[in-house]
Amino acid sequence: MSVYRVSYRYANSLMQLAEEKKIYSKIVQDAELIYSSLDSSKELRSVLKSPIIKSGEKKKILTAVFESKVSNEAESFLLFVVEKGREDILTDIFKEFINLRNKKEGILRAKIVSALELDDSIMKRITSKLEKETEKIVQSTFFVDQKIIGGFVAELDDKVYDASVRHQLNLLRKKFAEEISI
Amino acid sequence: MAEIRPDEISAILRKQLSGFENEVDVYEVGTVLQVGDGIARVYGLSKVMASELVEFPNGVIGMVLNLDEDSVGCVLFGESALIKEGDQVKRTNRVASFPVGEKLLGRVVNPLGEPLDGKGTVQFEKYSPIERKALGVVQRQGVKEPLQTGIVSVDSMIPIGRGQRELIIGDRQTGKTAIAIDTIINQKYTHSEEAKKYGVKPVYCVYVAVGQKNSTVAQVVAKLEESGAMEYTTVVSAPASSPAPLQYIAPYAGAAVGEYFRDSGRHSLVVYDDLSKQAVAYRELSLLLRRPPGREAYPGDVFYLHSRLLERASKLSEDLGGGSLTALPIIETQQGDVSAYIPTNVISITDGQIYLEPNLFNAGVRPAINVGISVSRVGGNAQIKAMKKVSGSLKLDLAQYRELEAFAKFGSDLDKSTLRTLSKGARLVELLKQGQYVPVAVEKEIVSVYLGTNNFLETIEVKDVKRFEKEFHEFAELKYPEIYENILSTKELKDDTVALIKKAAQEFIEKFKKS
Repeated sequence: MSVYRVSYRYANSLMQLAEEKKIYSKIVQDAELIYSSLDSSKELRSVLKSPIIKSGEKKKILTAVFESKVSNEAESFLLFVVEKGREDILTDIFKEFINLRNKKEGILRAKIVSALELDDSIMKRITSKLEKETEKIVQSTFFVDQKIIGGFVAELDDKVYDASVRHQLNLLRKKFAEEISI
Repeated sequence: MAEIRPDEISAILRKQLSGFENEVDVYEVGTVLQVGDGIARVYGLSKVMASELVEFPNGVIGMVLNLDEDSVGCVLFGESALIKEGDQVKRTNRVASFPVGEKLLGRVVNPLGEPLDGKGTVQFEKYSPIERKALGVVQRQGVKEPLQTGIVSVDSMIPIGRGQRELIIGDRQTGKTAIAIDTIINQKYTHSEEAKKYGVKPVYCVYVAVGQKNSTVAQVVAKLEESGAMEYTTVVSAPASSPAPLQYIAPYAGAAVGEYFRDSGRHSLVVYDDLSKQAVAYRELSLLLRRPPGREAYPGDVFYLHSRLLERASKLSEDLGGGSLTALPIIETQQGDVSAYIPTNVISITDGQIYLEPNLFNAGVRPAINVGISVSRVGGNAQIKAMKKVSGSLKLDLAQYRELEAFAKFGSDLDKSTLRTLSKGARLVELLKQGQYVPVAVEKEIVSVYLGTNNFLETIEVKDVKRFEKEFHEFAELKYPEIYENILSTKELKDDTVALIKKAAQEFIEKFKKS
């Protein structure tokens, strides 16, 4: 079965469990914490993926890392995943969980790149403009990349709003290459 | 040398820039997960359509073939070395399509519509999707006009009609491409004023080269140009060096051009040279996309690959303008094995086949058509009456000759009638021999076949038959030009014309010098 289908199934069960036990907001917090620690620590990911390390060891490691930081339900979910031998896709499961949460609450993550550091008012204006455009709650993260020369690029999932000077120049280059007819 | 002033350049630049909009551009993207062997798996692109074109960095274009749960499988029309993991992929919102229009005539393009002939960008009317559903029953009518190939044996015994699909099949080096090229060259006549006078409508041609050597394609183009056939021909080329996906879509792109002419009420001829190479390219692609292999490792839908292509050949009903698209697919067999997978498939799809044999080719019978097993299932209705009349006995005579030929090799004593059949057959075979790139006009074909089947060649030595034919036509054109005119205008062989031919033949046989 594809990784996607498996991780969706696990994530969906976790979501249902959280709703049933009415600890939704706590689990969401835990999931974000677990996802970010998995995402940032390559060592932890490779330990989980390694077929040499026994599942007992993996359980011990996970308990040691998350014991005091996450709820009991989240911890037992982690151990359950290891027991089922799916610890290699733990990152995908939590990624899928966060996706499910975003879909449920209507949250859209946006990556906004600008050539210069933006001040707060502009950041807010861009975000609110995007919220209006998409009719969803937009959570923006801002990056600076001088390669785009000027303007900004906003990436929301698959969609890109490109108002950068680099893109304009590329378009211009294409236009000249295509239809120079004198 | 002409001078260009700087202010002229700025004026042009200003003009170009005037249509340029400076707005936020919205597009959809995905990320490359995996790339290699001409295939890319892409994450994202959630709204992409099947067979939509997508844009990779470095100007590489791809086509979406697999839509999976969490990723999209694309084939690349460029080098996979230019793409790396994590690259951004853009949607174009355009299903794989091909530029069509009047200006495509005379051009050599690749299956994406990019020029290969160095004559600048291709001007076109519109994009036409390369995959189109074939027409239904209501939109069609029976094949009724002939498509003259200019090859005597084909036009007389295996006639092709406008809107037909006739397979050209044979081993390598048996002259398959030659037949197709001769047919294209012969369409030059249909664009002339004379043809217009006799009610023959022009045929626009498309030559699709799949998996061929670039040198071969260049030769073909040069030949077409030399004979003035490029004016009404488009060449779509996906040479052997191009990626398999391009070779796979090339025939569909060619069909799109043909359909443009068909749908505007005109006639078109599309040559697919050759479909066995396209099947091989499709097999490569399917295996890389991990589709399950079947017989000879071809995927399960290889029959559909060819049937949906050839089904697009059609003759439109009068309500839709009566245009037509004739398809001449070519298949290369290995050691004459027509029972291999792809040949049997295509034989069953088409309305007949022209079978070429290496033995005949080596024996000097060129075009090396085996008339015994070549057939045309619908072309007979399309033949003009005069040709139908003279060619009736030709096939029979040749069949009798072939039967006795093997027999006569034993060298036993033969009776008079057998000898007669043999000598007539030998002369007919000689008569049907024809050089490359010299298509014959239909009225001359009719007269030649008439002379052959009505025993006018009895007294001529076999080696003189071709010279006799040539000189007779020269003679008749000078002294009895009405023979040809009558045939062309009435499309029939009336008694007075027959009498004229007889008279001319008797007169000429007396004069003819034996070598």
